[in-house]
Amino acid sequence: MARFHDLEVTDVRKTIRDAVVVTLKPANGAAEEFDFTQGQYLTFRRDFDGEELRRSYSICAGKDEGILQVGIKRVDGGAFSTWANTELQAGDTLQAMAPMGSFFTALDRATEKNYLGFAGGSGITPVLSILKTTLAAEPNASFTLVYANKGVNTIMFREELEDLKNLYMGRFNVIHVLESDAQEIDLFTGLVTEEKCAQLFKHWIDIQSVDTAFICGPEPMMLGIASALRTAGLGDSQIKFELFASAQPGRAKRKATATDAASSANQTKAAITLDGATQTVEMGKDMTLLDAALENAMDAPYACKAGVCSTCRCKVLEGEVEMVANHALEDYEVEKGYVLSCQAYPVTDNVVVDYDQ
Amino acid sequence: MTDEMSIENYLAQGGVLTNPSNVPPRYRAELMKMMATFVDSELAGAAGFADIINEGPGIKARIAAAKIVLEKSDSAEKVLRIMGDFGADTERYADHHPWTARLERNADIGQSRTKHDMRLAVFNYPLEGWADAVMMNLLMGRAVALQLEELSHVSYQPLAEAFRAILPVEAHHAELAEEGLMALVEAQGTQALQELADYWWPRVAASFGQEASEKFEGLKAMGLRRTQNAELKARWQQDAGAILGKTGLKPAA
Repeated sequence: MARFHDLEVTDVRKTIRDAVVVTLKPANGAAEEFDFTQGQYLTFRRDFDGEELRRSYSICAGKDEGILQVGIKRVDGGAFSTWANTELQAGDTLQAMAPMGSFFTALDRATEKNYLGFAGGSGITPVLSILKTTLAAEPNASFTLVYANKGVNTIMFREELEDLKNLYMGRFNVIHVLESDAQEIDLFTGLVTEEKCAQLFKHWIDIQSVDTAFICGPEPMMLGIASALRTAGLGDSQIKFELFASAQPGRAKRKATATDAASSANQTKAAITLDGATQTVEMGKDMTLLDAALENAMDAPYACKAGVCSTCRCKVLEGEVEMVANHALEDYEVEKGYVLSCQAYPVTDNVVVDYDQ
Repeated sequence: MTDEMSIENYLAQGGVLTNPSNVPPRYRAELMKMMATFVDSELAGAAGFADIINEGPGIKARIAAAKIVLEKSDSAEKVLRIMGDFGADTERYADHHPWTARLERNADIGQSRTKHDMRLAVFNYPLEGWADAVMMNLLMGRAVALQLEELSHVSYQPLAEAFRAILPVEAHHAELAEEGLMALVEAQGTQALQELADYWWPRVAASFGQEASEKFEGLKAMGLRRTQNAELKARWQQDAGAILGKTGLKPAA
């Protein structure tokens, strides 16, 4: 189960106008928990007006740097990222889960690999961690970074990347592709699309020699690049993705409160939505929501039926239900109205639940 | 970099998801079911096979059987760990159910699962001795290899990677079973073994699911499936039929 640890903020530094790099130090002896692998991310939680928000941000530090750092770019309407960019300061305490994610490959000093990284905007954070770690750990590795941004002034870590180029002369190369700022070479202007990649592979990048490619950016960019890489002959196992969807909801809505009180009757009318279709069923209060759905030929998801796996999770929109066991959902999910339907018995005479939320 | 795209659209175009924070609810549900099916089948398979170890003729056979139990447990753990990323209580999950439980040898359950876990129907039948275990392991091992090949392309990258790592391990189990079957044919001829093949053939075939699954298109749009059940089953029939043929056995009619 997920567990949060306290982290002390030791530094908050602006990298561009609307992005900060936050340096963290595990508190209360949790250092071991935060021994990360390059390319992993941290999930933070914080209360905003009594409601818990969770956000994930990638670690941008290299493994060998001995520090824990994340990059946080401000998103329009994003409560957490705005707060981190305007109010967070050294001395504050943040709470995060141990590093997660598998956006990395194993390192081996003896190999002589060629890596290719693609980053769009703040997608640079995990790629930066990977390239710093890899270049330090594999003395014969080379790394080419294709870095897409709107314009020169929105390039995160621009100076740091220049420094790395000097440090790893001949092994590290950056191609900046800018959407709106014209560059000397036409190819480096515009969006990083499938066609753009194909041209880069023709003139600038020896794609045949690439062992592994890393992509982190918005959805359309990831699709285009992956498609170009496959056309160029890379297999699934050679392409590593990291997607942090731009569509993360800004703030969760409050759980609907019970509209009717419990009554003495032992029957409940349950409106159950699954795959966009809603069925209203009569069920006994001694039956779980999951069984009611299954009995009515709905293909509701489940696996363990013991409250441990969370496959059967659904959201209660109206009415009240009671869970007899819960080993999978966390308090904040329960607060939002999520229940394990295999463990949930109706309490009120009417309930409305949804498997699609 | 400003163009917006829905996750559904992204998946339909072959996009890949990489962590629990942005999987849509229905995707999450199907992914969890897929993982639970695999984990339960592996745990049930390992549990059933554990009882067979001592029946192996000679030390080499017993080592092979023990290795299969070990590696199936390990494969289950790899996938259960990913379920844990989604909130599953992994320790409790592994112990919440009696994985050795089996139905009657002649229970007619077709493709249905029992009420209590998600193991594929075929893992509900009891193994009756060494030769029976070898035959089941051979036929199901080939089926698992084909199913894993299909699943190693799922759009949830951590799971696709886990399945890619598991695939050669499971394929090797079928190879061990093939060696075991060769030895059995040499020792006792084909007659009794043909009966076992006839017993397991339709039950393993059923593990490919319904031929025309209504859910297929939905799963395909989410990047969770790409090949139809019927086609996978046909590949298995050819593949497993050829292996049986090498030993002088034949598929059930």
